[in-house]
Amino acid sequence: MTKALAIQAKGISKTFHISEDSHNTVKHRLFNLFNPPRSKKVEAIKTMDFEIYKGECIGLLGRNGCGKSTLIRLLAGVYPCDTGSINIYGNTLLMNLGVGMSHQLTARENIYVSASVLGLKIKEIDNIFDQIVDFAELRDFVDTKIKYFSSGMVARLGFSIAVNAGADIMFLDEIFAVGDMRFQEKAIKVFESSWIEGKTVILVSHGMEVVKKYCNRTAFMKNGSLVYFGDTEKAIQMYVDDNH
Amino acid sequence: MIIAILTDWFRRSNKSERLWLLAKIEFKLRYYENKLGLLWALIKPLMDIAIYYVAFQTIMKQNIPAFASYLFIGLIVWNFFLESTTGTVQILNTKKYLYEYSNMNKLEIYVSTLLSNSIGFFFNFLMFLLFYNLLEKNITYSTIHVLWIIPLFINLYILALAVSLILSNIYVIAKDITQVWQVFTSLLFFLSPILYKLEKFQESLPHFDYLNPIAGIIINARKVTMQGTHPDFKLFLFDFTYAIVLLMFGTFLLNKLGSKAAEKL
Repeated sequence: MTKALAIQAKGISKTFHISEDSHNTVKHRLFNLFNPPRSKKVEAIKTMDFEIYKGECIGLLGRNGCGKSTLIRLLAGVYPCDTGSINIYGNTLLMNLGVGMSHQLTARENIYVSASVLGLKIKEIDNIFDQIVDFAELRDFVDTKIKYFSSGMVARLGFSIAVNAGADIMFLDEIFAVGDMRFQEKAIKVFESSWIEGKTVILVSHGMEVVKKYCNRTAFMKNGSLVYFGDTEKAIQMYVDDNH
Repeated sequence: MIIAILTDWFRRSNKSERLWLLAKIEFKLRYYENKLGLLWALIKPLMDIAIYYVAFQTIMKQNIPAFASYLFIGLIVWNFFLESTTGTVQILNTKKYLYEYSNMNKLEIYVSTLLSNSIGFFFNFLMFLLFYNLLEKNITYSTIHVLWIIPLFINLYILALAVSLILSNIYVIAKDITQVWQVFTSLLFFLSPILYKLEKFQESLPHFDYLNPIAGIIINARKVTMQGTHPDFKLFLFDFTYAIVLLMFGTFLLNKLGSKAAEKL
């Protein structure tokens, strides 16, 4: 493992202000100038610091609503953080049910756009294009707009793009829930092959087996704070205890 | 910051490829979904010209020489500005799929969309040059000064980008900016020297050719294409400064408000 930094987070935190009545028009804002919206504060992420190095596979555990998804969105640069700073070295891919795709575009266009966003050059995309289509099992629908796809087809395409294009830093949020059983087996096989080798991966999963098998270090979160970050076995133990 | 982004684009060639790819797809979505395709890009200004010609030349008798061409060049400049601003107010919403899964720079989304509008602009500009030089009678033909359109267009592009950034980022916190902008643009349209004789415009609204950032671009575009002279440099400098200042404000808003787009929209 090289000790080059992939992500450096210093004193980051995130609070969501959920307003009860939405003041999101000019009219509303003018009329309620002296009557600011009442808002509920939700401290999604409490102040934390940590560093992730290149080539590491990090597990992220915690019960529902403890801030896992918010944390990876912060780390992927999708949400800005309220305090502190995050340095991201490389491009990121956030994957829960595939990658972002436009329903107005065909599968072919989506493959090119998404792979390009993930940092590939057109020539490189040309090379892996067939691989992506075959893996997604969508050969007959390459030039169909994906708004006509079934949700399973969209998910498979997204997964296939993410797997074949990749990114420097990948956040995998419960990715094994995609597609039918046959496709899930395929997804797990990909994971077991050398796909994640040499890449920085942050894995969110409730499957203890996967975390135990692949993660060098694992973080355990509870109510928005980072309780523990280190040895995988210990983190799993803490997570299991928390569930009882 | 802008220079840092630009050098970054050229250093990593993937970004320029990506911008072009996004622009091409945007262009295809806009025109090739319709039966008439690219012709729509031309039909729109031609219809407008016909309407304004009847109103301002036939009925109101303004007596502007080569009025059809006068309108043509004014309208393609105006339409580029209008499409690039009104059409992009909701861009952070419609193009959400591009940035909610990756740390892609949002500025690229704007640049590529405006690039796609630029293709339409230059297509229309070519049609204008053909129309003016082949069909209009008793005119001074276009000269090499036509090339001044390039810096003028860069000015227009930056201005449109800046306004687009400002509007679409305000949209994140105030959705009805769309309606506000619609009213504002029709005001701006009638306060620009598109339909009127230039002397009359300058006489009735003194200093407005300097106050209105798009007026100078239209005046200069006519100078370089229809009068065969260089642009009015003072006006050009004025408009360029407007565009840069607005762009700085736009990027400031993008960092302040646009960064929250993923969670707010």
